[in-house]
Amino acid sequence: MLKNTISGLDKILFDDIPKGSVILVTGAEGTLKSGLVFSMMANYISANDEHGLYVTLEQNIESHLRNMNSLGIREERGLHIFDYRDMRLEWMDSELDLIKTTEEVIDSYKEKYDNLTLFALDSLNALYSISDQENMRSKIYNFFSHLRDEELTSFLIMESAQSRISGQFSSSHQVEHFLADGTIELGMIEGSGGVKRYIQILKMRATKHAMEKHQIIISDKGLNILGPIY
Amino acid sequence: MNTSIQDIADLSEFQEDNCKKFVDRIIKTNREVFMMSSLIEKQMCGYDLIKEIFSKCDVFLSQGTVYPVLYTLEGEGLLHAEYSKGDMRSKNYSLTLKGRKIAEKDIDDFSRALEQVSLLLKR
Repeated sequence: MLKNTISGLDKILFDDIPKGSVILVTGAEGTLKSGLVFSMMANYISANDEHGLYVTLEQNIESHLRNMNSLGIREERGLHIFDYRDMRLEWMDSELDLIKTTEEVIDSYKEKYDNLTLFALDSLNALYSISDQENMRSKIYNFFSHLRDEELTSFLIMESAQSRISGQFSSSHQVEHFLADGTIELGMIEGSGGVKRYIQILKMRATKHAMEKHQIIISDKGLNILGPIY
Repeated sequence: MNTSIQDIADLSEFQEDNCKKFVDRIIKTNREVFMMSSLIEKQMCGYDLIKEIFSKCDVFLSQGTVYPVLYTLEGEGLLHAEYSKGDMRSKNYSLTLKGRKIAEKDIDDFSRALEQVSLLLKR
């Protein structure tokens, strides 16, 4: 179960995330978005005979793994990492339709591994920045549908501004929030005790969850979710 | 019923298109065999491999279907990857000894399977 993959995650997630859900993981840089997702996937894969695919557009495999190791997160054999470095060096961006290509990458791994059940994309922002912007709303709708059709529990990482104003997301990303089954926000809060990282579940369809911001820390055993921050 | 030259031309074009569709599907579904077969001859990067298969078979294997196979085969120890000296833009893949053995066997098995299917259809 995904809610048991990180120490303390069951404090904010009372039921498990339904299989095949598409979850947005948002937050500013340095808020542990990649670490949270990779850690959940790696721990889930190590406890289950299933496969996962982590697609990174932001970093190459080596630097991603270096970052994960520095957070105490280990690599798992069944967790496949795909980066676009070679493809983007050999082809011009105009020759690549990265949304369609990502769907094909998923299909290729799904063909190879029947029990591929988890998927992550790091990040949606990078995918947008190198994609043709025409009909983007419809492309994103189709991409989300593809993930659901493949019955993949998916984590889409999206970098966003640190704070939301009156609970509203910036209009440029409303579509994703509307389409997603869940949104996990990561952030930083400065208080009397210094700067603390937090995790908050803003939305999770068909799942009971806490609404409060909880502190998230890096311990020598990986990520750890503590009690409410207030 | 009279058959016009145009009808014959249309039928011939349809048969060619239909044949092309089958070839296209066979190659795409079994791209791993075709990719390894190309790598028996020389080492190549993903870009060259796609170009090579297109020029030989007139079938375009998209990037999203080729690179995952290269990475998986590399992970399984069937391919060896290295960047060209002084050129970090293309990662060249070659078959390892284990990869070459598997490639030769797969090509042989695949050819025999095609022959068997052909015989079954002609019965």
